[in-house]
Amino acid sequence: MMLLATKDLSSYLPILLIILMAVSFGAINVIGSLVLGPKRDGTTKAQSYESGMNPVGTARKRFNVRFYLIAMVFLVFDVEIVFLYPWATTFPNIAPMSHEGLIWLGRIFFFLLTTVVAYIYGYRKGVFRFD
Amino acid sequence: MHIPEFLTSQLLVSVAVLLVVFHVILGGAGMCIYLERKISAYIQDRIGPNRVGFDFGLPFLAFLKGMWGLGQFLADGLKLFLKEDYTPARVDKILFALAPALVVIPPLVTFAIIPWGGSWEAPWLPIPFLGWLPPAVVLVAGANISVGMVYVLAAASLGVYGITLGGWASNNKYSFFGGLRATAQMISYEIPMGLSLLAVLLTIGSLLPEQIIRWQYQHGWLILSQPIAAALFYVTALAEGNRAPFDNAECEQELVGGFHTEFSSMRFALYPLAEYAHLITGSALFAMIFLGGYHLPLGFLGSNHLLSPENVTTLGMIAKIAVFGGKTFLLICFGMLIRWTIPRLRYDQVMTTGWQGAIPISLFVVIVTSVMVYFGQTSLLALLGANVAMFFVILIALPLMPKTASNARIPLYGSRYSPMEGERVLTGPTNATALEDRPVQGTLAS
Repeated sequence: MMLLATKDLSSYLPILLIILMAVSFGAINVIGSLVLGPKRDGTTKAQSYESGMNPVGTARKRFNVRFYLIAMVFLVFDVEIVFLYPWATTFPNIAPMSHEGLIWLGRIFFFLLTTVVAYIYGYRKGVFRFD
Repeated sequence: MHIPEFLTSQLLVSVAVLLVVFHVILGGAGMCIYLERKISAYIQDRIGPNRVGFDFGLPFLAFLKGMWGLGQFLADGLKLFLKEDYTPARVDKILFALAPALVVIPPLVTFAIIPWGGSWEAPWLPIPFLGWLPPAVVLVAGANISVGMVYVLAAASLGVYGITLGGWASNNKYSFFGGLRATAQMISYEIPMGLSLLAVLLTIGSLLPEQIIRWQYQHGWLILSQPIAAALFYVTALAEGNRAPFDNAECEQELVGGFHTEFSSMRFALYPLAEYAHLITGSALFAMIFLGGYHLPLGFLGSNHLLSPENVTTLGMIAKIAVFGGKTFLLICFGMLIRWTIPRLRYDQVMTTGWQGAIPISLFVVIVTSVMVYFGQTSLLALLGANVAMFFVILIALPLMPKTASNARIPLYGSRYSPMEGERVLTGPTNATALEDRPVQGTLAS
């Protein structure tokens, strides 16, 4: 017996419910422990804990550019993967060895090639090196 | 009475499943902490928690004392609730309150599409004041939506926000570094996770979780036909959840506590809770995608045995949920075994494994799988052969990948590759001091 997912929006009602449940769980926990716990304060206690030293300056400082580069290359790959999903669900349903299948394969290989070029460029530039 | 159109048997069953599984996962995350302590204790030849039972200090419940320490998670939870929730002076107050809630939402939302019990023929279901719903075949899952696995990826990739914001809001240098590391690691490992899932979807041709299990029922488990993708998916699921051996973000030796250094009370507890919920959800997903979900190879019992997708009886549903839960439990134990066996990777090793290992391999797997699909060779033996061939190609090709000697444009002074003036760089053991210091049995010079 086949059971396919319906396409109407009412099938997303449980998703709405679970998001509400998870959000309220997080909110109740954060607020609950604020209300229930004791309250004591002090100047030394209010310092941030940096291995027992007195903190020097804030943490809002410049950081290594590598993290920024990684985030940019991630965007390239992630957007590409999102575009590949619709293709991955339709491509296996095309008759194998057919002319149409070859066209689909060629197009997606060209699409993948653009990402491979981006990957090689990043590789040569040393984006993926962490030393 | 007229029943509104959106009130279907599927909706009622979905809501019931969500309400049950949500609490099972929350309780299970608590029990996971107990299980992890117990497993680590046995691995290290200790006993582990064995005192807290369910007697609550009451004399007439004294027979519930002990209980192998099973009450530990209740006691821990209660204690964490009653501890002081302290906000240090220099933190970003709003983000500091928001981050722990944000980190716990994604793993609790992701499990919604997992079809725990397969198809089930629901009996007459009552709706108060409106009447009865006729019997219908429904999916015993949190939600039966058409986007399927895309929802998993979308929900899982939101997990990075809580950790980034937690590290940033703390205004603590160690927290900040921990948050940065975790962010870079999680977004890096999201790519091979998506690509290995893509290889699976290419062989199946559907996004629906129930379809994935049915395909495995007909063609054999996917861990046999896509072993490389399975290994990649498991490793990336560990890395996504910041589990050992990829838990660099909370590396105590380098970063105090990592991104949750400044948190206390329940706001701190939400981070481990999210980690264990992530482990449970990831294990259930792995069981569903690669280990056949509720299916066991019981073909010799006939085509309509209890675990077959065609069996829609109530007994079959219960058996399926039990098998699915059992597989998930074994995978959770396997994850814990890994944590207490394999030492933590160094951070540059983690990133190198991700960008120079996992991503090219997963791209390669996707390309080879799509060619196999084009030639119509998606049987188990053909894909297994292709995977073996791919494995040897990877073994030969990965060491041959050109190593970028150093980044000449932006030298990082003081690193191994660009040492500072007069600094001596140690690349390996230079002399035999370590050998000579050993208690010598016989002569050193042979």
